[in-house]
Amino acid sequence: MKALDTITAKFKNLPSAVAKKFRAIPSELAGKFAGAKEILTQGNGKVTASMLVMGLGQLIYRQWIKGFMYLFVQAAFIVYFVLTGAGDLFGLFTLGTREGNAWYGVEGDNSVVMLITGILSVFIIFLYIMLYISNVKDAYRTQCAVDTLKEPLSFKKEVGALLDKSFHKTALALPVIGVCVFSILPIVFMILIAFTNYGGDVVPPALVDWVGFKNFGKILSLGQFAPTFFKIFGWNMLWAVLSTALNYFAGLGLALLLNKKCVKGKAIWRAFPILAYAIPGFITLLGFKFMFSYGGPINYYIQQGGGEVVGFLGLDAKWTARFLGLGVNAWISIPSTMLLATGILSNVNTDLYEAARVDGASSWKQFIKITLPYVLFATTPVLISQFIGNFNNFGIFYFLRGGLYVDGYFLASDTDLLINWLYNMSIDNNYYSIGAAISLVIFAITSVISLTVYVLSPSYKQEETFR
Amino acid sequence: MNKAKAKVVKAKSKKVFNVVITYCILSIVAFIFFFPCLWLILASFSKSGSIYSFDGFFPTEYGFDAFKALFTDTVMYNYKRWFFNTLFIAVMSCILGTLLTILTAYCMSRFRFKSRKAMMKATLLLGMFPSFMGTIAVYLIMTQFNLINQHWGLILIYSAQAPMGYMVQKGFFDTIPYSIDEAARIDGASNFTVFVKFILPLSKPMLVYTALTSFTWPWSDFILPKMLLIDKDLYTVAVGLMSLGETEFARFAAGSIFIAIPIILLYFCLVKYMINGMAAGAVKE
Repeated sequence: MKALDTITAKFKNLPSAVAKKFRAIPSELAGKFAGAKEILTQGNGKVTASMLVMGLGQLIYRQWIKGFMYLFVQAAFIVYFVLTGAGDLFGLFTLGTREGNAWYGVEGDNSVVMLITGILSVFIIFLYIMLYISNVKDAYRTQCAVDTLKEPLSFKKEVGALLDKSFHKTALALPVIGVCVFSILPIVFMILIAFTNYGGDVVPPALVDWVGFKNFGKILSLGQFAPTFFKIFGWNMLWAVLSTALNYFAGLGLALLLNKKCVKGKAIWRAFPILAYAIPGFITLLGFKFMFSYGGPINYYIQQGGGEVVGFLGLDAKWTARFLGLGVNAWISIPSTMLLATGILSNVNTDLYEAARVDGASSWKQFIKITLPYVLFATTPVLISQFIGNFNNFGIFYFLRGGLYVDGYFLASDTDLLINWLYNMSIDNNYYSIGAAISLVIFAITSVISLTVYVLSPSYKQEETFR
Repeated sequence: MNKAKAKVVKAKSKKVFNVVITYCILSIVAFIFFFPCLWLILASFSKSGSIYSFDGFFPTEYGFDAFKALFTDTVMYNYKRWFFNTLFIAVMSCILGTLLTILTAYCMSRFRFKSRKAMMKATLLLGMFPSFMGTIAVYLIMTQFNLINQHWGLILIYSAQAPMGYMVQKGFFDTIPYSIDEAARIDGASNFTVFVKFILPLSKPMLVYTALTSFTWPWSDFILPKMLLIDKDLYTVAVGLMSLGETEFARFAAGSIFIAIPIILLYFCLVKYMINGMAAGAVKE
């Protein structure tokens, strides 16, 4: 009930908080543009020259190398923009106008590639704008230095600063570019794909078009997708809650057990879960699949005992397969929780237990009143990330029951999670746009859940309790 | 007098009972975690490869045939090739990924620049997207760069995406006191020198941890290689082992053990760091 109150309170405060943010925008903007205003009003002709042509001002100040570098950037950008950039940017909106036809030898537009190059061109334009601003600022800085009769920085010194004062610029350049191209660009691409009709029959050479929110409507209401979506979503939530709780409490219990004073040879006992932790996940999963397969050892013993062969992971093994998945996931994840809890438990303040014992608290009470709150407090962020990890646990059912489609589900099986469905749809069956829409839905769900849990968690509400 | 004695005996027996129960549970847990591993190890030494010729969990005959076949019978399943492919990809991505991650974490921890907060928030947000949401786009980008069916393509992706997980390392750098930086700066060292000469030597545990995680990821990943590698000769072990059926079970077990051993050894050597937590700084103020 209390939790509900907190949430409703948050939501009640939301409009005013948002309004506050918006009211702050003008002053923030003014702060940001103060520098620009200063340059525009105070800058001399050389700064203006830099504004017109990058590097010109620097060249007038006889900063040859820097000036030519900026000039080169300007020239390179113009060449890029004229040759491909403008077309790419335009293509982002049209997604191609000429349909290819192999019969007549017409090479048409490839909408998907156009989408990617379009996003890339936006990135490049942003980069250019940033360089342009730095160029103007640099010219103004030189002007200020000259005005105050100081020697402007030599090129050598400026390069030296890249290893010293602005070391972060040098060091972050490569990681930022890498993340932009291989993490951000793909995500932007998929977000945009969710609003197109890409997939199914509409793959290049056919032209792809923007369709707005149609795909989301399809998932939530259309006959083909909606029932499957809600069935899988229900199971996905159940799975995430069950597996996170199981792994968390079993791992914590194991750590407490190993922490007992009477246990001798802790390192040896601990070695077994660590062994399980160290084995690459796909080996474990394939191994368990073999163990429970039709010809595997479990079925061998069932047959020896006179039973019938059981298809643990077969077509109609709904709940056995689900429980098997829970078990296998626990086998894989409990060790890491145990390691984490062991580390955290070693930091608990032992005075608290001493005091509790003096007051005559039972060990159960000590666990409930001291250990659990402390561990929960310390592990909330991890708990959230474990929940998300389990919600999006692709490997388990991909390996145990991959490629299985069950009646009543559209391109999925009754153990598949949303992420498996997404994989089946987009990678195996070309339903790209629907797949992208599903992944946006997954994103919305996971971010709302983790934010809510975080806001309600003790580590957020009472940050100082255990400090 | 007698009553007190009885009480002591009772408490003692309760304690013994407690210890026995504890050890029972521990044994069961150890068995649960160890038995599947033992099963795989035994299976790798079975003479006939198929899972159908096993007596339950145990092979009927033992021999080194599976291991031999792994490296000699390479027509259908070229394990030797797969192994060195995996090793190459993992080592290269480990070197590049560690370098980029450490640099990112260091900058985020030590420098205060304008877009820092925005970048930190952005990484948190990006982390919430399903991990392979962008795989199709990555695939298309790789075709644009002509890097499909090439190991360097994979290495590029692994090392470029590695800096996204810089948070742990940043937390570690935060615990190294600023006084070290300041002292060095007063002595005239540049930020680059401070990083190389003072911070790096202090963060050996973190370097090892980062290297380990950025090694194990490509070592056991299967989604990207499966999508980007087409020729069977270019496969990594994970993709290759997935193509083995029930009749090749011994070979699967042998191949798995061979690839799991390096990782297991690494983990056991590093478990100290993992338990003590990354946050413990190397220097106390």
